[in-house]
Amino acid sequence: MSKSKAGLLQGTLDMLILKALSLGALHGYGVGQRIAQISDDTLKIEEGSLYPGLYRLERRGWVESEWDVSDNNQRAKFYKLTRAGRKQLIIEEQNWERLAGATMKALRAV
Amino acid sequence: MFWIKATTRFINARRHPDEVTREVETELRFHIEMRTRANLERGMKPDDAQRAALQSFGDFERVKNDCCEIQRSLPLDSTPLRMVLHIAIATVAGVIALWAVNVRHDNFTGVMRQLIVIAVLTYLFIVVRRAGSKRRSNSERVSGVLATSSETFRTNQSVTRDISDATSTRITAFDEHGRTPVERMFKS
Repeated sequence: MSKSKAGLLQGTLDMLILKALSLGALHGYGVGQRIAQISDDTLKIEEGSLYPGLYRLERRGWVESEWDVSDNNQRAKFYKLTRAGRKQLIIEEQNWERLAGATMKALRAV
Repeated sequence: MFWIKATTRFINARRHPDEVTREVETELRFHIEMRTRANLERGMKPDDAQRAALQSFGDFERVKNDCCEIQRSLPLDSTPLRMVLHIAIATVAGVIALWAVNVRHDNFTGVMRQLIVIAVLTYLFIVVRRAGSKRRSNSERVSGVLATSSETFRTNQSVTRDISDATSTRITAFDEHGRTPVERMFKS
């Protein structure tokens, strides 16, 4: 039971990161801010946990990174979505919609 | 192209582990600095702003170690690799067990061979168990990642309270002799 819950949450975080990056290249802090912004501050993510997520996605080839200079002239690592990442985001969104739809159906059943 | 990049990164990370650690640290410190600035802009005092930034970041050392570990791990999807590894370990264990069985048991060499086999199989078992528990603890760590807003949390708390109320109602359904409703029906 706990195993499936962890898997779902991990997948959700990955999907949210992909979604945030689909709107443009960002550094890790920016990803957290973007997720908070697009979810109207509903989803609170432990900020540190974003980074293992980003590294995992990069290792899978869904995200790529490069060091650049941020707005405040500091060296920062920027992430952007790859073509494989865009495809994966579509798959993740479809899976999520299917899961959410099935859950709603189950909840509305009399 | 991805495989070339991934393999190069993996080799570099293996060859220069300190560099990987330094890069990860720089990245994470940048995050904390950005959060501190945001807190300052909200009117917090410098000390409070930094403390709050560190708190909202979570366990710095754990995150750093996790990132470094991911950077230094093989650039492969681990699921098929793990399956192949499991099959290989099971095959090796099977061959060793067969080798131990096909020997005379009434001489010194045979007994020694069996003892060695027991030791090897026990070692294999421990290694596999440890790898499994490490993987499980990593995945459990992820479960603390997402939390919904405090409003949802309060809703969950009220649901929990409702459930516990329901449980207490069920407990009071026992009569003064400690019989359940079903027992009362059949043993009136």
